[in-house]
Parts: sequence; structure tokens; C-alpha cells
Amino acid sequence: MAGVGFRRWAQALCRGNGSGISALVSGCRAASGVSKGSLPGPYPTTPEEKAAAAKKYNMTVEDYEPYPNKGEGYGDYPNLPERSQHERDPWYQWDHPDLRRNWGEPIHWDFDMYIRNRVDTSPSPVSWSSMCKQLFGFIGFMLFMFYLGEKFPSYQPVAAKQYPYNDLYLEKGGDPEKEPEEVKHYEI
Amino acid sequence: MADYQEAPLATRPKTLDPNEYFSVSLEQRRSEQSRAALRANLKRQYQMQLNNPLRRELIEDPALTRWVYARTHTYPHFNATSKTSLLGAMFGVAPLFILYYVFKTDRDRKEGQIKAGTVERKFCMSS
Repeated sequence: MAGVGFRRWAQALCRGNGSGISALVSGCRAASGVSKGSLPGPYPTTPEEKAAAAKKYNMTVEDYEPYPNKGEGYGDYPNLPERSQHERDPWYQWDHPDLRRNWGEPIHWDFDMYIRNRVDTSPSPVSWSSMCKQLFGFIGFMLFMFYLGEKFPSYQPVAAKQYPYNDLYLEKGGDPEKEPEEVKHYEI
Repeated sequence: MADYQEAPLATRPKTLDPNEYFSVSLEQRRSEQSRAALRANLKRQYQMQLNNPLRRELIEDPALTRWVYARTHTYPHFNATSKTSLLGAMFGVAPLFILYYVFKTDRDRKEGQIKAGTVERKFCMSS
């Protein structure tokens, strides 16, 4: 790519009918790449601008609706419905099946959010209130039960371990001459 | 299911949408037709490029170019309204000062505790 540019520059240098610097710094661009009219522009105000913008984005004029001009930086980009790619038909022959999108179709502003690995706006199988009740009901119940378990513990009764030979008097380094005190672990 | 309420930010299933059954007018059918015509034209362009045996380069998507361009060139269309300035201040300026004060006071408190000897430093290797 850089080689092509250099070659073109060298050719212009040899050919150049201008003189000096103006021969090198040409005012015209190559015809490859996007033309300026097909890139997003400022917010459209007149109906003709709206029609031109709709044509540019490959949309019908009644579908095309720009974002409101609140200075948030959208320009004339279309305000497409906030639908995730999860909702598109999985059985239709898309040009890009993983993205469920056709070539040339206008891309949503948050397209990278709405891909099939991320945010999903498809309808939920159960209603929102029912989902909330089930989830928070379960969590609340479990928290309450654990709280009760902390307040009223219930376990097998335990006591300290009892050692023989007067609590292991000699093993713990007691004096063999002296008489240890009697330790009784039972009651009759 | 008559009282199905969709989740916030989610959509209604197509079979529960009343527009599907009630208002199917002539203008709607015409607009569907024009949309289908646009779609078919784009499909044709793509297929012609895809199946061209002499093509060696990638098929560039102008919609993708426009999307990337729009997302990166938001500054020319930016206006400093009250909402945008508020958002900018809330997310850009305030965290700097708030976090500075939070971290500074926490560190100073810890330093005071260490100097007074009240905190137990289990893994300190420097003293």
C-alpha cells in the first residue's frame, strides 16, 4: 500500500507540469475509497436533505428518522429501532449469518451492543412482574431462613475433650514425686 | 396470557402484537414493497460481487464504513448544551476530584494509624 503511494508520487514527479512544491503536493485524490457524499454528515433540516440522507443510508424516506438534534454528536445518522440481533429471523438466509445482517443494511448506532453475544431485547417468556416475584421471593426467603438459623442454632451437643490420668499430668511434664490433684470426669 | 406485560426494554412477541392482525392497509403494503425493493437491490449488488470469479479483493461494505465514520466523528456535531455539559462534568471531571479526596483521606488515615501503631500489619516486610 505504501509502495503504491510512493510509486504514484514518483510518477507525478516525473510527469509534473507544475513547478517545484506544487507539483508534489497534488490537490486531487485517487478515485478509490469512499466519496465524500456517501459519508455521514450534519443533521438534515430541509425535506430534500432528508430524502438525500435516506437515499444515502439505503432506507425509504418514511423509515429514515435522524436522532433529535441535541448536540450529542449523532449528525444525520438514522435512529433505528432498539432491537437486538437476537430478534432477527434465525432461518432467513442472511449475508452474514452470525450477525444476522445483510450487506449494505444500515447499522444501528449501538450495533456492537446488540450482537448475539451481548444485550438481548427479545420478548421474555414470562412477564416482568412474575420474574421479579420469583427471583426476589426466593432470595428473600433464603436470606430470612439463614437469619433464623443464625439466631436459633441447632447442632449436636458437644463438650471439651476429656483426658485420662488426671488430665495427662505426667505426659504434660508434671513432677513424678508430687501427687497430682484428682480429676474426675464423671458424676454418679 | 391476555395480561402479558413485556419486560422493560424488551419487545412484545410478534404473535401478541395487535398491529399484526388489525391494521394492514394499502400504504403499509406499498412501504413494505419499497423496502423489499431496496433490500433486493442490495442483495443483488452483494451477490454480483461475491460470485465474481475475477474478484481478488475484499467486498467493502459502505454501511460499515459509514457506521465507523459516524461513531468516530461525533465532535463536528457536538454542541455544549446543558445536558451534554452536565454529563461531561459528571463522568469526566467529578470522578477525578472525588476519587482524589477519597483515596487521600483513606491513605492519610492509614498512615496515621501506622504511625500511632494501632494497626496490625501482618505482611509488612519493611520495618
